[in-house]
Amino acid sequence: MKKVFELALGIVTSVGGFLEIGSITTAAQAGALFGYQLVWAIMLGGLCVIFLVEQAGRLAASSRRTIPDAIRERFGFEYYAVLLVVMALVMLLVLGAELGGICIALEFVTGIGYRWWAVPVALVMWLIIWKGTFSFIEQGVSALGLVTVCFIVAAFILHPDWARVAAGALPTLPTHERARYWFIAVSILGASITPYLMFFYSSGAIEDKWDESYLGVNRIIATVGMSFGSVISIAVLVVAALVFLPRGIRMEHYQELARLLTDAFGVWGVRLVAASVGIACLGAALEITLEMAYMIAQGFGWNWSKNQRPIAEARFSLTYTIVVILGALVVVTGIDPLKLTVFSMALTAATLPLAIVPFLFLMNDEHYVGEHGNGWLSNTVVVVIIGLAFVLAVVTIPLEIFGGG
Amino acid sequence: MNLARDCLDKQLLDRHGRKMGRVDGLVMELEEGAQPRITFVEVGAVTQAARLHPRLGRFVAALARRWGRAPNDPYRIPWAQVVPTGDDVTVGVEAEATPALAWERWLRAHVVGRIPGA
Repeated sequence: MKKVFELALGIVTSVGGFLEIGSITTAAQAGALFGYQLVWAIMLGGLCVIFLVEQAGRLAASSRRTIPDAIRERFGFEYYAVLLVVMALVMLLVLGAELGGICIALEFVTGIGYRWWAVPVALVMWLIIWKGTFSFIEQGVSALGLVTVCFIVAAFILHPDWARVAAGALPTLPTHERARYWFIAVSILGASITPYLMFFYSSGAIEDKWDESYLGVNRIIATVGMSFGSVISIAVLVVAALVFLPRGIRMEHYQELARLLTDAFGVWGVRLVAASVGIACLGAALEITLEMAYMIAQGFGWNWSKNQRPIAEARFSLTYTIVVILGALVVVTGIDPLKLTVFSMALTAATLPLAIVPFLFLMNDEHYVGEHGNGWLSNTVVVVIIGLAFVLAVVTIPLEIFGGG
Repeated sequence: MNLARDCLDKQLLDRHGRKMGRVDGLVMELEEGAQPRITFVEVGAVTQAARLHPRLGRFVAALARRWGRAPNDPYRIPWAQVVPTGDDVTVGVEAEATPALAWERWLRAHVVGRIPGA
């Protein structure tokens, strides 16, 4: 019975963890510019993240180690230091984007400009981490995240041509704006396949004291949770294709996002967009902040549990405090939140191999996973999709910055 | 024993199982005619930095002399105090009393401990 409860909780949590400013924005952009044509990118990213999250849980359950812990131990301080610096920079940009998302949601509801919200939002978020336990943070915010199901409801209310939606599942070449098409595809992959999500999942498995008996639970949580998350992303894309594309709204300013649900829900549309974006971003921001502190504490061998008082590990508490401040600074600088979001997602895709390649070595190392190592399917799916995301990122990021294509 | 794999970079625990850092370095003694043997495990930022680049190590050592909270960074633990335990490296010391937690103690007393609710 305990496992059934944990299962349900795990699924809710992973859905909440999946959806954030990156997946909402990139899916909305894809729908606004290319209709249903990019559904395949969300499905490909979703497939990869199902495999990766399952593996992250399997590593934690069979080796009793989180991913950063095992990477430091197996590949040494030198590799860990490089990974930490690169990931910390990308995660800081993503954190800025997520905090920006919360602020934008507040702007939609109050009309007060998003930059004014940066400091109060950061303070509230810090208080949640400072006072909250791991399960409170993980489960409370994720359960609220179910409000994002409203995108699925909206997609059904608007009656899309489902045959054409399904046709988008097969990749096709763009007929216009080729560079933009591939760049959005990369951003979608980067928004779905996020190393911090896997790292955080492995930390959660250790906090919840998983062992081999959780391997089945883990497989179901990863598959159902991540599939459900992908379905919500596809719903965002479908709604954007029906609402934005015919009106020529190109999703180049975040304010345009506010109108996404108005056709489906009338006056409640803006409030639902704000609630969905705000809560999804809050969940992601909490996860990124905690994972930054976890990653540093685990790599340097400090105490890192969130189930103890802040004073029990002063370095850990100070680390997440500084991370929250830096994240808020990114928002205050006034970098366009939409550009920041899309670029940080593409950057995530470009840096994927740095975290995923050593992770795959661990998943095939008997010393860590014993008899629960990866099969050929798990290895192939991850290598192919990560390889594709990396190549696309390296080609399209310069094109997006310098123009052309 | 394959030392690089079995000891270096492992989680370091004190005698009560408190996490006190990682095995950042190993000190070996080479004597003519005898097998090389490990004399100390090293913990601390200076050892970590020196592993990235010797110059970075010297730079961090200079910083530690100026602003450090520990008297003799890098902190060395005699090999004789290492207790072999499965996956982690346990040493027979009291972490709280060692330089490995010098910064932790200082931050607890002067920064984090002063924030309400800590």
